[in-house]
Amino acid sequence: MANMNLYSRGDKTFVIINMVLIGIFTLSTLYPFIYITALSFSSGFAATAGKVVLTPVERTAEAYNYILSDRMFWVSYGNTFIYTIGGTLMSLAFLIPGAYALSRPQLYGRRFWNLMVAFTMWFNAGLIPFFLNMRDLGLLDSYFGIIIGFAVNGFNLILLRNFFEGVPRSFEEAARMDGANDFQVLWKVYVPLAKPAIATVALFCMVSRWNGFFWAMVLLQDQDKIPLQVYLRHTIATLSDDPEFTATQLNASYSFETVSAAIIVCSIIPVLIIYPFIQKYFEKGILMGGVKE
Amino acid sequence: MSGVKLESIVKTYGALQVVHGIDLEVLEKEFVVLVGPSGCGKSTTLRMIAGLEEISGGQLTIDGRMMNRVAPKDRDVAMVFQNYALYPHLNVAENIAFGLRIRKESNAAVDAAVAEVSGILGLTDYLDRRPADLSGGQRQRVAMGRAIVRRPKVFLFDEPLSNLDAKLRTQMRAEIKRLHKRLGATSIYVTHDQVEAMTLADRIVVMQDGRIEQVGTPMELFLNPANSFVAGFLGAPPMNQIEAVIGEGADAPMAEFAGGKIALPKLPGLQNAVGREVIVGIRPEYAQIATAPAEGVVDCDLDLVETLGSEALLHMSIHGKPFVIRTETLGQVAELEHVTGFSAAPDLIKVFDANTGVALSGQMRVA
Repeated sequence: MANMNLYSRGDKTFVIINMVLIGIFTLSTLYPFIYITALSFSSGFAATAGKVVLTPVERTAEAYNYILSDRMFWVSYGNTFIYTIGGTLMSLAFLIPGAYALSRPQLYGRRFWNLMVAFTMWFNAGLIPFFLNMRDLGLLDSYFGIIIGFAVNGFNLILLRNFFEGVPRSFEEAARMDGANDFQVLWKVYVPLAKPAIATVALFCMVSRWNGFFWAMVLLQDQDKIPLQVYLRHTIATLSDDPEFTATQLNASYSFETVSAAIIVCSIIPVLIIYPFIQKYFEKGILMGGVKE
Repeated sequence: MSGVKLESIVKTYGALQVVHGIDLEVLEKEFVVLVGPSGCGKSTTLRMIAGLEEISGGQLTIDGRMMNRVAPKDRDVAMVFQNYALYPHLNVAENIAFGLRIRKESNAAVDAAVAEVSGILGLTDYLDRRPADLSGGQRQRVAMGRAIVRRPKVFLFDEPLSNLDAKLRTQMRAEIKRLHKRLGATSIYVTHDQVEAMTLADRIVVMQDGRIEQVGTPMELFLNPANSFVAGFLGAPPMNQIEAVIGEGADAPMAEFAGGKIALPKLPGLQNAVGREVIVGIRPEYAQIATAPAEGVVDCDLDLVETLGSEALLHMSIHGKPFVIRTETLGQVAELEHVTGFSAAPDLIKVFDANTGVALSGQMRVA
């Protein structure tokens, strides 16, 4: 930490208040994770009785036994991977060339195209027209429908476009002088330079795909194609309505709360594993040294 | 023959015309420097030659081939950028090899070319480094390596040294000159630094406001500037320019100005020209210092002495107007404080028309 002696009294107060606020914020975002993890390892009785606060009560892994032995858990987990990986790759395949094109001053009608993209950030057709559109395109109940239907997001496109716009023009000019065509300029110069921005966008896409719930529920009828989040919702709905399950939960080692918590923990793990690998791309200053400002 | 020919080249941005019909022929193996103040159109002209800016009018030919509509990559020219434009994600070897890889040269050919170029430029020990780990001079060398590795017909340099410190600039200037001698490629070099222009160029093109003011060898331009702008641009410090009126003289025309008068060369435009308004141009190097009033000496006040070691710059004022003298110190700096005026041989004086700035005909004697 910086030497506090260099700060005036007002600065010190400011720093302390900041730290307290950041601390509260961190705890408030961290607590749900801790709580859900604790819940998933608690007994059904303790969970229903509301005894779990910070650590597991009557420690047990029965909730995990329950979900890991359910075939649908594995099917939906696999589907989520398909939607996440396929969707992210599809998104990048559209976003990178699209953002690059929108960033080029020589693009014909550039202002118009940019406005059209921004427009979709504020307005959209709404649930029913979109559903009908997907239906008419024959994209209901298909992996491809979910993957292509949400491939391009205006916000991500503009984020990436802004990054490309910030890359000094002389990189492009140097590459052109070296004999590169448009595609080579993009793939050999801009994409490597844009790694941090692409990683950011990829992470946004991944997280939104991983957590994607609503549209998958609306567009998918076939239970073998539903993602994990929809499976989680089904589980909560069915288990809480199941009289047999409810009746036995008082002496069962798991309840629908602990089962739901266990599914949530399982769904968080891959994101926790992937993030450190992506984080290295969030490094600053990758453009440093290439041009003299 | 890999010369470059510009005929009536024009550049417009919408209604704004920035280059007004430039005619220039750069011969094969020639080193031509475009020089001028910021915004004079020199970089734009270079970028039109490179193909990075569209040519709005006129014709560009390289090696006898019309190039107006040819893509940069097909012009067989290479460019060194002011800001280096090195690819930060590639190391030195990959940066140099980039153009060859794009052209799908064989690995062996690329390796050989990179080895040769890095040897020439003294980069052999840095091939694995990224641009961020290099000094400014090394980066500039990599940028040059990227240009020369392809053996293009024409090299274009866009103020390549302006980001370097003074010492490095002097060193790199010499390297560029050496490189040009060795490779013998046609080169067009843009700078706003007249010292670079004087030292590097076979011929200098002085530009102002999108027009060429004068083309010639460095000494031609130095000794016989076509107009007062060129006179004021080349030379460090630049030529002193005094507004004057032609007065009566016994056997040579005299220029009279507030604070004194001085004899002028016998130029055709100065015969029977009493009352004509002119600008008298005297190079700081060609003014002789005087320590006492005398015939032919212009009296002035000494404001400041700048000592440069072997020489000194005397900042004088004639009736409030600045006048700079460059003189050898010979170790006697204290004596320079007693300078009270200067004289100048008539045949070392340039005379310009006060209205048009155009030089009155007459060759300056080569000193």
